[in-house]
Amino acid sequence: MGSDVILVIVVVTALAFDFTNGFHDTANAIATSVSTRAMSPRFAVAMSAVLNFAGAFISLKVAATVGSGIVDSGAVTTTVVFAGLVGAIAWNLATWWAGLPSSSSHALIGGLIGSAFAASGPSAIDVDGVVEKVLVPAAVAPLLAFVVAASTIVVIYWMVGNLRPGPVNRGYRLGQVVSGSMFSLAHGTNDAQKTMGIITLALIAHGNLPADSFDVPFWVIVSSATAIALGTYIGGWRIIRTVGSRIIKMDPAQGFAAQGAGAAVVLTASHLGFPLSTTHVISGGVMGAGAAKRLSAVRWGVAGNIAIAWILTLPAAAIIGAVVYGISSAFGSGALGPLVVALGLVGLLIAAFVRRFAQQRLAAAQ
Amino acid sequence: MIAAIDVGKLFELVWAAALAGIAVGVSFSLVIIGVVRAEDCRRNRRSGSATAYAALSVVSAIAFLAIAVFGIVVITAK
Repeated sequence: MGSDVILVIVVVTALAFDFTNGFHDTANAIATSVSTRAMSPRFAVAMSAVLNFAGAFISLKVAATVGSGIVDSGAVTTTVVFAGLVGAIAWNLATWWAGLPSSSSHALIGGLIGSAFAASGPSAIDVDGVVEKVLVPAAVAPLLAFVVAASTIVVIYWMVGNLRPGPVNRGYRLGQVVSGSMFSLAHGTNDAQKTMGIITLALIAHGNLPADSFDVPFWVIVSSATAIALGTYIGGWRIIRTVGSRIIKMDPAQGFAAQGAGAAVVLTASHLGFPLSTTHVISGGVMGAGAAKRLSAVRWGVAGNIAIAWILTLPAAAIIGAVVYGISSAFGSGALGPLVVALGLVGLLIAAFVRRFAQQRLAAAQ
Repeated sequence: MIAAIDVGKLFELVWAAALAGIAVGVSFSLVIIGVVRAEDCRRNRRSGSATAYAALSVVSAIAFLAIAVFGIVVITAK
């Protein structure tokens, strides 16, 4: 009975993480399309939600790789997974509140590292795996996207610089529909699968599925796809504002260069089996497309805050994951610990939203 | 720790991503150049040039769409 309750809590928490992933990361894919008016905000968000939902059904290969090569599978229990998810959700909500684009995947990995460390000590962490799959891609993604987007926009300006701006801008807005769609589809295939993988791992650990094969149940696919699509549709505006207009004020050609170069980098990396964060790529691409036109066009203060959020993502989510594991296990090995933490988290969220609602009403009344 | 970094794959990623990114930008820019110039030529009654620019835009559009389709294949094969 107790283990059933933990399983339900883990599944609900995983879907909650998927939801935050939707309204946090997916904004990146469409932010430049919204800011250059290539698409209306409502259409862009709806399109991204649909493509994220569709992307979740395309492939299940990523689902089988969640946490592998980073955390020792023997150290993974349902409580470790729960604590890791809470660490990731907490960091996602904090960066969303600040309007900073950070990687949900890195938050999830950080949360799992922290909770596994707290549960089994340093031997549970594969340091080489963390370097290869997290740290090197985190350093490469924004720099590569920066250089590729900067080179692309220089070539674009050279090619179309002496044409009438009206049709040129209309053309690049149209191109952004394609590049934004590609980004959203790529995001759906990547990120919704991580939640599927987490839920499937929990089902295997609980004995509901055989351990010798990794078959994702259909209800897991549908619920994960729905959670990320709902998150995409409901949230994301804070981060759309940051990526779309606070880093640089961009024209349609810059938006296309950032998205096109970003999609090229993400898909080339996927093709070579090199995992890159879509968040890091599009942010680097936007900065590159701005800096190539004029270095001072980039608001480096905003860019610096984003870089700090990236650096802090892994350790911050890990610390929260470790603390949550500590609190959960303080109540014993049963369901009470995760239940207390889950109820506490829900209570904190309700309090935060009630406070925000009250502040908005006060501001409207003044 | 250094052993964990596959330098060969990293180098391949850098040049292939740069090539793909610039190919996307160039192919779509050629579509725009073709369309805009074809319109200008038609307005100036230079039908030969208009046809050539229209052909350029069609070929470039096919190249751009081919890159997009290849991207979808990469996504689905992942």
